[in-house]
Formats: sequence, structure tokens, C-alpha cells
Amino acid sequence: MTPAVIPAVIPTGGTVFLVDDDPGVLKALTRLLRVSGREVRAFASPQAFLSEHDPAAPGCLVLDVAMPLRSGLEVQQDLAASGVERAVVFISGQGDVPTSVRAMKAGAVDFLTKPFDDSQLLAAVQAAIERDDVMRRTRAGRQAVERKLATLTSRERQVLEHLVAGRLNKHIAAALGTVEKTIKVHRGRIMHKMGATSLVGLVRMADLAGIRPAPALSPRD
Amino acid sequence: MSQGTQTRPSPDIGRGLPASLRKLTILKGRLGERSPDTWRAALLVAIAYYVGAKVGFAFTFEPHPISTLWLPNALLLAALLLSPASSWWVLLAAALPAHLAAELQSGVPLVMVLGWFASNCTEALIGAACIRRFCAAPLRFDSFRDVGVFLIFGSLLGPLLSSFLDAALVTAIGWGEGAYWQLVRLRFLSNVLAALIVVPFVLTWAAGGIAAVRGAPARHRAEALALSCCLIAVGIAIFDRQEAGPSTAPALLYAPLPFLLWAAVRFGTRGASTAILAMVLLAIWGATHGQGPFVTSSPEENARSVQFFLIAMSVPILLLAAAMEERRKAIGALELSEERLATAFRSSPDPMMIVRLSDGVLLDANARWEAMFGYTLEEAMGRSAADLALYANDEDRRHSFERIAKYGGIRDFEVEVRDRTGSVRETVLAAETCEVGGVACFIGTLHDVTAQRGAEREAKEQRAQLTHLTRVALLGQLSGALAHELNQPLTAILSNAQAALHFLAANRVDPDELREILGDIVSENQRASEVIRRLRALFKRGETQFQPLDANDLVREALDLAHGDLAARNIDITTELPSGLPAVRGDRVQVQQVLLNLLVNACEAMSQNEAGERKLTISTQALTDGGVRVSVADNGPGIPEDRQTRLFEPFFTTKPQGLGLGLSISRAIVTAHGGRLWSTNNPRRGTTFHVSLPRHAGALP
Repeated sequence: MTPAVIPAVIPTGGTVFLVDDDPGVLKALTRLLRVSGREVRAFASPQAFLSEHDPAAPGCLVLDVAMPLRSGLEVQQDLAASGVERAVVFISGQGDVPTSVRAMKAGAVDFLTKPFDDSQLLAAVQAAIERDDVMRRTRAGRQAVERKLATLTSRERQVLEHLVAGRLNKHIAAALGTVEKTIKVHRGRIMHKMGATSLVGLVRMADLAGIRPAPALSPRD
Repeated sequence: MSQGTQTRPSPDIGRGLPASLRKLTILKGRLGERSPDTWRAALLVAIAYYVGAKVGFAFTFEPHPISTLWLPNALLLAALLLSPASSWWVLLAAALPAHLAAELQSGVPLVMVLGWFASNCTEALIGAACIRRFCAAPLRFDSFRDVGVFLIFGSLLGPLLSSFLDAALVTAIGWGEGAYWQLVRLRFLSNVLAALIVVPFVLTWAAGGIAAVRGAPARHRAEALALSCCLIAVGIAIFDRQEAGPSTAPALLYAPLPFLLWAAVRFGTRGASTAILAMVLLAIWGATHGQGPFVTSSPEENARSVQFFLIAMSVPILLLAAAMEERRKAIGALELSEERLATAFRSSPDPMMIVRLSDGVLLDANARWEAMFGYTLEEAMGRSAADLALYANDEDRRHSFERIAKYGGIRDFEVEVRDRTGSVRETVLAAETCEVGGVACFIGTLHDVTAQRGAEREAKEQRAQLTHLTRVALLGQLSGALAHELNQPLTAILSNAQAALHFLAANRVDPDELREILGDIVSENQRASEVIRRLRALFKRGETQFQPLDANDLVREALDLAHGDLAARNIDITTELPSGLPAVRGDRVQVQQVLLNLLVNACEAMSQNEAGERKLTISTQALTDGGVRVSVADNGPGIPEDRQTRLFEPFFTTKPQGLGLGLSISRAIVTAHGGRLWSTNNPRRGTTFHVSLPRHAGALP
């Protein structure tokens, strides 16, 4: 079992948050997305969206660029500033290059110029939902590993760092100034606490949590 | 003279030494200022007075103290009338020594002499003051008014009033013989006659008489000489060669009349007064010497008869002379005006013509007219405007004739005329009715404005082109926004249609849902069509069409068109569009252009503002004069006062890419609408542009 690994299944669930100040466009896009099997929450202004947005809900954001008071790009920044990760697809009636470049650099999944084909929109929404799912899962996996890491003693953590560096038990014992047997016990506890079935699985979990390998040993080793 | 200085009444004298000394200094100053003319006049008055008195004595019948022809008073009056009122006292003072010299010689007591001087001066002063009061200009005896004023005041009132005084003085002092009323009558008649013959004579000769004689043609002088000879000969023959008595023929009295008439008709007042003087002198001389055609008992009574006769004759002759002068002047003025008119007609830089009103037949035309139409006067005269096809549009001809006949003239009537070759020129006709030989005509001037109108049309065309080009440029600036305005409905249409396809593909056809989708597609399509229609109207170069417009509608349309641009720039728009505004008169497209221009400018003005700090307020307001004002306020940096007016100059711009034509064209558009475009700085920040448009007479359609 490798819970921290991105699954191969394609997620179909997730809400599409749709923001456009043009009521006609908002209505048409809502309709199109719903008939394509998407759950849609439509907002006529950035303010309405920001006040009702649930960051925990899976799904993506389809955001119009040109809106009075707050542009789509600014809404994207607002979300990032408040620590919310949400995959964004921009839609714009004026597809000028500088704006789209800025949007993509800020992490947008796609930038569609109106009028666009349904396949373009649905593909972009699909990709965004996948990105959102990946981000969500990655975040969830990291958080699980971090929780397990927190249960390790500081000695076990030291041993883990050496394990991640690919060292043998005897080398670790030498580096930590103990005997090989002790290291073996630590290693068994670590595997148990982290729920790892193999060394490879443990290393991947440590990698996900950002555990860095212990520095190289002294020359006498 | 020094006597006169001292006797001059002055309220200040006697109030104290310093005051009287000052007054004397002023008087000396005034004396010093008098021109040599005044002194010469004073000397002349003294001499004339003395001589006149001597002549008067010669015509006096003892024992009556009154002369038959007492000239000094009339001479004094004439002198006063010839001088400014400020120097009258000098002339009167100059007469005193002459008076004393003449009177004292004849052994009259001093008291009586001074009394007479007083009454003489009174007569002259009354006459002169009254005449001055009623005739501002110097008396010329060339009008009924002049002669009338002189007769009433100079020859009637002055002598009458002073005669009462004179007779009273004579009676009081007890000099000579005669009852009071007899004295009044005698003195009055004597002085009336003197005034009648002396004053016109002196005044007319003093007013350029010598120069007139010098400048007169020889024939005229010969006629005057002949008249003088005849008059003197007849006068002597009638008045001085005939013994008065029962055998005299009174009818001969009228013998001088033809010569007096001759003088009045041919030589005016100057000639008439001279002739009268000559006749009077001869008649009085004869009468006082018992000669002449008067059947009376005594030379004295004879003289009275002569006085009556001469007064009765002089008055109509003077009036006739004045009438002749008036007529001569009127004829002169008429001739001058006719000559001027003819000269103006011939030399006018514009074509002029005289046309018979009833049938439009040409009676006269000037050289310019011939040049314009290509007809000579001989060819065109007697032919009508319709016959010559002078008017390019026959309706114009009839219309102009009607108006001339109805209103007696016409001004600034624009008419196209056609010359002989058929080429048409634009002219402005001014005409006035007149009568030629009893026939109603009009005299008309045509001013050729072909070149002027051509230039005006060209300028107008260029203005229209420039307006259109700036509008296209403005739409170019807004192209992104306009694409946005089209892309929105297109997106909605496409997505709706594809949603419907998905429903069909999924075999989940809900007729209600499908109907709703199709309805949305239709309305979005209409929305797109509306955008295109508006754009076409803005891109098109049409004729200016004034129509009633709703200012609020115009503002909403402009906001719709610029919506994309406003949204892309994150501008917060506030509108204050009260309902119930009166309709304004304007060209829809051009007013849109102005509003779009102001919107785009406002957006650009706020480009440096923080996001969320870009506020645009558009408001409309009914004006007291019935028009509507549209105000576009931004909260940009504002415009310095010194640039506020320059903003509207062509090629003045504050933008790096600006051409500087937008606002100047906008102002030209608004001005052509009869409105105003101006800017003010906001109290806090930013600028507001105001457009005022005049009210449309009718209601909104």
C-alpha cells in the first residue's frame, strides 16, 4: 500500500466555481458544465465568490479576467495570499498576451479566449480538477507522513536520516557511536511507526515530507 | 472800455478787499484773453452806432424826440447776434461813448441821453437773448424758422418792450413833446423798421457776403448790377423826384415791388435785404423831405405812412427770400442724393439692377450686372427675368418677387442665378422697392458668394472628415473593448448551443430546457447584432442628423460600448441618471463620439491609480434653460489650471501616444450642436468634463 503516491484513477468529482460578471455568459457556461456532468457554483462577481468560497471543497475555479472592481488576476492573487490552493482556468473576452502570461506564471491551469469550444473548456476544467486533486492529495499525503514523523523520537529521526542517505546498519551505528544491534531495533520501530512495508516505501515517505539525508560520514568510515 | 469793466455787475464785489481784488484780477485776465477780433468788433460797433445815430437824427422831426429810422439799436442787435454772449458787455460798453458823443452834440440832457442808452441796450439785449434761446445756430435767414424767430423776437418783441421803457423815461424826464402812447407807437414803428432792414442785411453780409460776391460768376454779378441800377433808378424816380401832394399816384408805390421780388428770388436773403435797405433809405429820405407818392398833410405823417408801407413790404419779401433759400437747399440736396445714387449704381462692385415689380422686366442695370450675366444692357433691357432665365430656380424668382412686393424689400435672400452661358452662380439678393415714373419697381443688388460658399462647403466637408477620422481612431482605441462586447454574446451563444447538443447526445431532451436555451441564444444574438449595429453607425460617415435624444440613453449606450475597456481597467462606475430629463437636440452618433471620447480620456487619466481606486462617475442633470448637462468625473491626478483651456486646442495632448484631436473635435461637435464642452477640477481629486446640450423643441419619439 502506497497512500502517499498520486493515484492513477481520474477524478470526476469536484465542484466548478464559475465567476463571470456577464449574466448571459454565466448562465450559458453553467448550463454547459452541468450537462457535461459537473457540479457548478456560479457567481456574478468576485466579491460574491470570495465571500462564499470553501477552500476545502474539491474542484476548480473558472474565472473571468475583465470584471469591474476586481480583475480575475487579482482574485487569483487574493487566494494565493490567503494560502488557498485552487486550480484556476481563466476565460477572457480580450485575450491579450501579457495578461495570459501573467496568469500562467501565477499558476493558472489554462487561459481560454472567448468564445471557446466546449471541448476546450471541458478539457481545461478536467485538467484543473485533476491538478486540484493532485494538489489536494499531495497535501493530504504530506500531512499524513508529517503526523507519523512527529511520533518518532529524536534518535529514531537521526537514524531515519541516515537510512534515507542509503547507509548500512553498521555504518549508522558507527556514525552514531553505538552498536549495530541497537540500530536494528530503531529501524524496526521506525518502520512500524511510519507504517512502511519496505525501505523504498519509507524513503519515499521521507522524501515527501522533505526529510533531508544526513551529511556524509567522517573519512575514517 | 475801462468804464465797462467797472460797471459789469458782480455779486462778489464789495464783499471785502481780497475778494474784490481777486475778482479784478480775474476780470483783467479775461480782458487779456479776448482776441483782437473782439476789440475790432467793439470799435466797429462804436463807429456804426455813431454813424447810425447821426443818420437817425437826420430822419428826426422836431419837436418829437423819436427818429423815423433809428438805426443804432438795430445795429447793436446785429452786433450782439454776431458775437458770443460772453463779449456782449464789451460791445454795449463800446456803444456808450458813441451814444454820448452823438446825443450830447444835439443838446439833449445827460439824464435823457443815459435813459435812451438804457432803453436801446434793453432792446438789443431782449432781441439777441431771445433769438439765441430759440436758434442755437447763427441766424442765416435761409429758413422760415430763422426768419420767423427774428421777426417775432428781434423785430417785434425787443422794440415793443423797450418802447414802453423809452416812452416812460421820456415822459418822466419831460423831454420833448408827445403823449405816452404816441411816443410808444412812434418809437416802436421806427425801431421795427430799423430792425427789419438792418439786421438781415448785416447778418447775411457778415456771413461770407464778400466772398460770395467774389466767387460769383460774371453773369450773376452783371445781373446784380443791373438789379441795383434798376432799383435805385426806380426808387429815386418814385420816392425822391415827386412832390407829395394831392396829385401823386399811390399806385406807383408798387413800382419797386418787381425789383424786390427779383432780388428775393434770384439773390436770396442777402439780395433781398440789400434791396430792401436801399429802397427804405430812398423812401424815408424822400418822405422826410416831402417827396414821394404819399398823399398826406405833413412830411412827418408822410414818413409814418412810409414806415407802415415799408414794414408791410419787407416782411413778405424776407419770408419769400427764406422760402427760396429753403427750396434751393432742398433741390440741391435732392440733386446731390440722386447723383450719389446714380454714382453708387454705376460704380457698385456688385451687380445692380432696376426691375419692374409687376412683370420682372429689367429697366436698368450696371456694368457689373452685364459682366455677371453676359448680356449687354441693350439686349437685356425690356426683357423679363423669366424670359432671360436669370434665376436658376423659378421658385426663387417668384418667392423673391412676392416678398419684395409684400414687405417693400428683401435682405440676404440666397438665390442661384444663371448667366447667358447657363452656368449657375450663388448670390445673395438685397432689394428695395422704388417708383420709377409712377411704376412700382425694385432696385436690387446681387452679391456673388459662389467662391465663399464653395470654401464654406469645403471647410465643412473637411470638418466632417476630421470628425469621422477621429471617431474611427477612437473606435480603434476601443477595439479591445469592442471585441469584448462581441465576444460575450458569442460565448453565450456557443456555449448554449453546445449545451443543447450535449442534452441531445445524452438523450435527455427536456423540451422546456431546450426552449429556454434557444430563447437565450436568440436574445444573445440580438445583443450581438445590437453591438454591431451601433458600431456600424459609429463607423459610418453619415450626414449630421439632428433629432430628439434621451441623454440617459446615450450615456448607457456609451457605457455599454466601453464596458469591456472599463472592466479591463477595473474601473468602478457610478451613474446618476435621473429620469424625466427633457429631450436634447443632437446627432446620435456624434454625441456618442463625444461621450466615448470623455470616457476613454477618464479611463486613461486613472491608469496610474491603485486598483480599486479608479472611480468614474457619470451624471446627467436638467439645466434651467431646458437643456441637459452630462458630466464625466474621474479621480485621476487632475489637470493644472493653466492647461484647462489649452486642453481643447488641436494637437494639445498630455498622453504619449495622443494625437491631441479628440477634445478639440469633441468641442467642435458640441459647439455645432449649440452646446458647450468644458472642464473643471474636482474639489478632492480628478477632473470633471461637462457637456451641455440644448433642449429639443419636441418630445422624445
